[in-house]
Amino acid sequence: MIKVINGGIEILVEDWPGRIGYMGLGMAAAGAMDNLALQLGNLIVGNDTGAAGLEIAGGYCEFEFTAAGVISITGADMSPTINGSNVPLWEAIAVKTGDKLKLDHIGEAGFRAYLAVRGGIDVPVYLGSRSTCLFGSYGGFEGRKLAVGDDLPALPSDGTADGIAGRKLNPKYIPAYTNVWELRAIPGPNSVPDYVSEAGMDYFFSTTMKISHNANRAAYRLEEVPAEFWARPDGGAGGSHPSNIVDHGYNMRGAINVTGNTPSILIADGPTLGGFVCVANVINADLWKIGQGIPSRDKVTFTAVTVADGIAARLERQAMFEADDLLIG
Amino acid sequence: MEFVLKAHMPGLVARVVVEVGEKVEKNQELAVINCMKTEMSCLSPEAGVIKEILVAEWDEMDIGSDMIILEG
Repeated sequence: MIKVINGGIEILVEDWPGRIGYMGLGMAAAGAMDNLALQLGNLIVGNDTGAAGLEIAGGYCEFEFTAAGVISITGADMSPTINGSNVPLWEAIAVKTGDKLKLDHIGEAGFRAYLAVRGGIDVPVYLGSRSTCLFGSYGGFEGRKLAVGDDLPALPSDGTADGIAGRKLNPKYIPAYTNVWELRAIPGPNSVPDYVSEAGMDYFFSTTMKISHNANRAAYRLEEVPAEFWARPDGGAGGSHPSNIVDHGYNMRGAINVTGNTPSILIADGPTLGGFVCVANVINADLWKIGQGIPSRDKVTFTAVTVADGIAARLERQAMFEADDLLIG
Repeated sequence: MEFVLKAHMPGLVARVVVEVGEKVEKNQELAVINCMKTEMSCLSPEAGVIKEILVAEWDEMDIGSDMIILEG
């Protein structure tokens, strides 16, 4: 269905919610970094929300379709073209054998685009998911990012594709992209007063932090916090630094882990446990924003919310997927 | 005619692997950008001679940042 002509920066097969249930064995859940764009892309082409698609980080890639089908491109706008002509995002597009899809570099906002194909990408299901865990080298297409010459089939789809091409996401549901991403986060489990000072939490929830160039599918590293962040004033810079605690399991996706004075948002392929504090956790409804943060350019802010707020946001997201006016045409 | 190698990704310059005066081929690696804990080659868009190197190790790049001036 899709043959890679130019593998660009990083193209991976990812589904949603990824490989759930194996963190106790040290296996991260993987899954789409921007689950919202993947799920919407799947709905546009008539798939279940969680079907496997291609996650394209950074752009600069080209594909040839080796079979006819229906696709959608969602997420970051990388000026996609088919056979040299511009094509829209957030819309079902019919493609025929031999068509060439090209994506340019990232634009003003957003780092990852998603290519959904009707039926979904056909790679083996491994432990319940088709997602690639890049740092474990398993899942997806041979456990790796795609390279020139890879040819990925699509699964057969239920029903007819008639009338699907041209179907669009209602513009009011297109996610807003930015260069300063507000992430709602629930404080804890290792926060004030035992691990982090009041001033430290105030700093955390009031400071705009730049995303480091060291930001990938395992962790999005941020700017350092000041020494006053910590409840314990002593410990120095080594193993006694106050960020060190007895090893514990990390939350799945969104944990804000601080090693030394450096916070990192643990994400798709991140570690499942370790011995550093996790001072807050980004809510499920906002995880997609992390995936669209541009390393070495974008910034994040954290807003404190409650567990109830997180649940409400998740229910609101689910209601959007089920809205009668989600798709047009 | 002059042309410029521009950064194709945001990130930090890991190294420049050519020197002023050096002849290079089209698609030859001229520099490396570090982003996402991965090294990404910056390839010469055309054959030419290195005229001026505008970046140093650890300089921060954005997409389109000028890196190296070449004479075609």
